[in-house]
Amino acid sequence: MKIGLEVHVALPTKSKLFCSCSSGAEEPNTAICPTCLGFPGSRPMLNEEALKRSVTIAKAVHCKVNEKTHFIRKVYFYPDLPKSYQITQLEGAIGHCGYVDIERKRIRIRRVQIEEDPARIIHADDYSLLDFNRSGVALNEIVTEPDIESEAELREFMSELRSILFYAGVDIDKEMKVDLNISVGAEKVEIKNITGIKNLVDAERFEEKRQEELIASNKRVATETRSYSEETMSTVPSREKETDEEYGFIYEPDLAVYPTNGIIPYATVIASELAKQYSGKRKETIKTIKELVMFDREALKLIQYGAGQSNIETVINAIEVLKRRGKIRMPEKGFGKMLDLLDKGIVLDDDAIAALNDGEDVEAEKHGVSTEEIDREILNVLSQRPDLVKEYKTNKKVFNSIVGIVIKKYKVSPKHVAERLALVLGE
Amino acid sequence: MIGGIEEFVDKEKPEGYYERLIAELEKVNSKLHIFSSINRQISSGIPFSVKDNICVSGVESTASSAVLEGYVPPFDATPVERLKSNGFGFVGKTKMDEFGFGTFGINCKDHPRNPFGDSYVTGGSSAGAAAAVSVMKYHIAVAESTGGSISCPAAFCGVVGFTPTYGLVSRYGLIDYANSLDKIGIIGRSSRDVRYAFDIIKGSDSYDTTCVDHQINGENRKKLIIIDQLMANVDQDILSSFDKFISKMQNLGYSVEHRSLPLIDKALAAYYIISMAEASTNLAKYTGFKYGIRVNDFSKGYNEFFTEARRNFGPEAKRRIILGTFVRSASVKSRYYEKAMRFRHMLIDALNSIIKDGFLISPTMPIKAPAIKEAEELSPLKSYSMDSITVPPNLAGLPHVSFPYDYINGFPVGVQLVTSHFNDYALLDFVQGWEEEFNYRFNYDVGAI
Repeated sequence: MKIGLEVHVALPTKSKLFCSCSSGAEEPNTAICPTCLGFPGSRPMLNEEALKRSVTIAKAVHCKVNEKTHFIRKVYFYPDLPKSYQITQLEGAIGHCGYVDIERKRIRIRRVQIEEDPARIIHADDYSLLDFNRSGVALNEIVTEPDIESEAELREFMSELRSILFYAGVDIDKEMKVDLNISVGAEKVEIKNITGIKNLVDAERFEEKRQEELIASNKRVATETRSYSEETMSTVPSREKETDEEYGFIYEPDLAVYPTNGIIPYATVIASELAKQYSGKRKETIKTIKELVMFDREALKLIQYGAGQSNIETVINAIEVLKRRGKIRMPEKGFGKMLDLLDKGIVLDDDAIAALNDGEDVEAEKHGVSTEEIDREILNVLSQRPDLVKEYKTNKKVFNSIVGIVIKKYKVSPKHVAERLALVLGE
Repeated sequence: MIGGIEEFVDKEKPEGYYERLIAELEKVNSKLHIFSSINRQISSGIPFSVKDNICVSGVESTASSAVLEGYVPPFDATPVERLKSNGFGFVGKTKMDEFGFGTFGINCKDHPRNPFGDSYVTGGSSAGAAAAVSVMKYHIAVAESTGGSISCPAAFCGVVGFTPTYGLVSRYGLIDYANSLDKIGIIGRSSRDVRYAFDIIKGSDSYDTTCVDHQINGENRKKLIIIDQLMANVDQDILSSFDKFISKMQNLGYSVEHRSLPLIDKALAAYYIISMAEASTNLAKYTGFKYGIRVNDFSKGYNEFFTEARRNFGPEAKRRIILGTFVRSASVKSRYYEKAMRFRHMLIDALNSIIKDGFLISPTMPIKAPAIKEAEELSPLKSYSMDSITVPPNLAGLPHVSFPYDYINGFPVGVQLVTSHFNDYALLDFVQGWEEEFNYRFNYDVGAI
C-alpha cells in the first residue's frame, strides 16, 4: 500500500494572504473586502508574514527553500471560490525535496507551498450559505511523496508533523484538512478534505479495507475522488474532480517573484531542529529542549552556544537553573564559564550566577561548591542527626528536611543536593 | 501651443458652465453613443472621462459587458482617485469593446460612432475614450491598452493616445483583460494635456504589486527606425502619406533607418495566446453570484447556475474564453502558452537592442477607420491581424504614443512612436515638437468657452 498526503493548515498570520482583512473574524462575512471577494478591479498584495511562516515550515521539514518563489492560478468553478481560480503554487513553491523522519523510516516531502483558502460553505437542508471570512486566509500545504505504507506509519507521521508544526505556531488539532491519496493496488484513490487526524486515520482504515476487498474479489478499484463521511465512517465517490488538464495553470500576473534569501525562519523551528540535532535519539531530551526554547529566544541562543561546548544534558541543566532564577539573559561568555564550572562538578550558588551574569570572573573556591564538598556535608549532617536517619526509614518526608539543612550552609540547588543525598542514602 | 486643460484651469468659467457642458454632451452622445453614463453631478474641475473597465466608486462599471450589468464598485481605481483629488471632475464612463476584446469598438451594445463620420468606427477597444476626446474641447480620457486599445482609437479619432511603460500606472481598479499586458494610459487633445494627467496618475501604489516608482526619462533621439515587417500590410494611401511625414521629419533633422526583424511577425500570435490565456482566467469569476448580472433561478445545481449567467458574454468574449482555456490546458500548454511567454522575452530583447538609440516609428494602423458595416463583416482572424503594428510594443511593455499626422479623405491617420522602457517623456516631447507644425482638426468642440 502507498499513501501520500496533502496536508493543509492555516498559517498563523493576523491578516489574510492577499489583503489586510483579519484572519480570525467570527461573525460571518464581516472580515471581507473587494480583494477577498474577488471583485472586478481588485487585486492581491502578498502578506509577507505568510511568506516567512511558510519558509519556517519548509525549513522545519528539511525542504530546500526556493531562492525565488512565485504564484500560479488554478482555475475551477465552485461556489466557495470567489474568483473561480485559486492563487496557489507549483514549481515556484516555497520549498521542495524535504523529509520528516519517523521511527524507522524517512517520509519524503515533495513540496511546501502557500495558497489562499476558499470561503466556508454551510450546507442546510435545501440551501447553502457562504461565509467569506475564510476566503483568502493564508494556507500552508505540505505535500508528501507516497512513502507511507501502513496505518501505523500514518499515525506516526502525523504525530511527528503535529509536533513540528506546533513549534512553527500551527496547531493541527484546531484546524487541518488533508487530501489522502491511497492505493492498495495500482489504482490511486484520492479522498479529499478530511478534517483532523482521527478522521484521517479512520478514512485510511476504511479505504484500505475497501480496496483490499475489491482486489480480493477480483474487482477493479476505480481511480477516482472520494469523500469521507464522519457519520458513517466510510468513503463515497464524490463529484468529478477536475484534472490538471482542466485546471490550466498560468502564472499569477498580478504578483511578483519574491526572493526568499533574506527571510529568517522563526527561532522556535530552529530550536526544534536543534533539539534533534543535539540530543540524539533520546525523546525526553528532545522534549525538554523544545520546551525550554519554545518561544524563548534567550534559551535558544544559549542552547546554540552551549551545545558547541558541553554535553547537552549539562547545557539543559544550566538553562533550567537560569530560567528558575530569572537569569536567562546571561551573556554568552558568562554562560560558557558556567558550563566550565558545571563540567568540573562544581555546583554554583546564587552569588556565583549573579557574578557570571555581570560578566565577572567566578572563583570556584569562593562561590561554588564541589560535589565532594556537598557529599561531605551530607555525611556530616547525617552523623550529627542519627534521629533523622532513623526516622527516614519509616517516613520518607524527612528526606526534604535533610536537604533543607544542607542547603542552609551552601546556597546551591536543592535538586542537586537531593540527587547527592539519594545516592548517599542508597548506599 | 498652450491651450487645452492648462488654459481651462486659468479661465473664468461662465455661470452654468457644467450644466451646459452636460446638456451638449448628452445631445452629442445620443448621436455618437460615446458614453455609457454621463455624470450630471459634475460641478467643478477639469472634465475627465473613464473607460468603462476602470472602476469609479458608486458608478456602474461594466467593461461594456452584459455580464457585469449593475456592478457598482465600492471603490475608485487608483488613477481615478488621484485625478479626483488633483483638480479633475469625473464627467462619465466611456464605452468600449466588451472587456477590451476588439479592434474597432463595435463589440458592445449601441457602440460608439466616429466623430469624423458616424457610419465609421472609432477604433477600439478604448472606443468611447478616444471619441470623447475628439468631441470635447477641455477634457482628458483615462483609457487602457492591452494590445493597442489606446493607439488604435486615438489614430481613428485624430487624438493623442499615450500608453506608458508597463508598471508606471497602478492597475488597482481596472477590470482585468490580461494583467501582464494591461496598461492604463491617457488620451488627450495634445501632448501637454496628456502629460498633465499622466504626471498625476503615475507612481507606485500599495494596492498594485506590479506598479513601481521609477525615474521617467525624456531622452530625445534623433533617429527614426522603421521595421520593414511592420509596413508589409499597410494600405497604399497610408503608406504614401506616411512617406511624406517621414520626409518632413528628415527635414527637421531626424535620420531614418530601415531594419528587418523577422521574429516580429510572430508577435501577434504570441500576444493573442497570452492575452486570451489570462483573459480566460479573469473572466472565470463572472458567475452571476455576487455582482453583475443576477440569475434568479436557484433551483438548479451550481454549474447550471453559472452557465446561465455566463450565457450573457458576447460572442467575442466567449471565443476568447474558449481559445484561452485551450492554450493553457496541460497537454498543449508547452506548445502555446509557455512558448508565447518565452517569445515575449525574445521580443523584448530584440526590440530593446533596436530602439536603444532611436524611436521606432510606423503608421499606427494599416488602414483608415473602416465603415462600421465593413468592420462587422471581417472574420475574427482578419480583425486580429489589424493589431499587427500596435501589438509589439504592448507585448514588450514599451511606452508608445499615437498622434495624428495627416487627414485622408477627411479622416485622421495616426503615427505610432515607440521608445525604450521608462523613456516615456521623450514620446510626449516628440509629439509636442510635431504639434508646432501641425493643426489638429475637430468636428466638435463641446465645452468650449
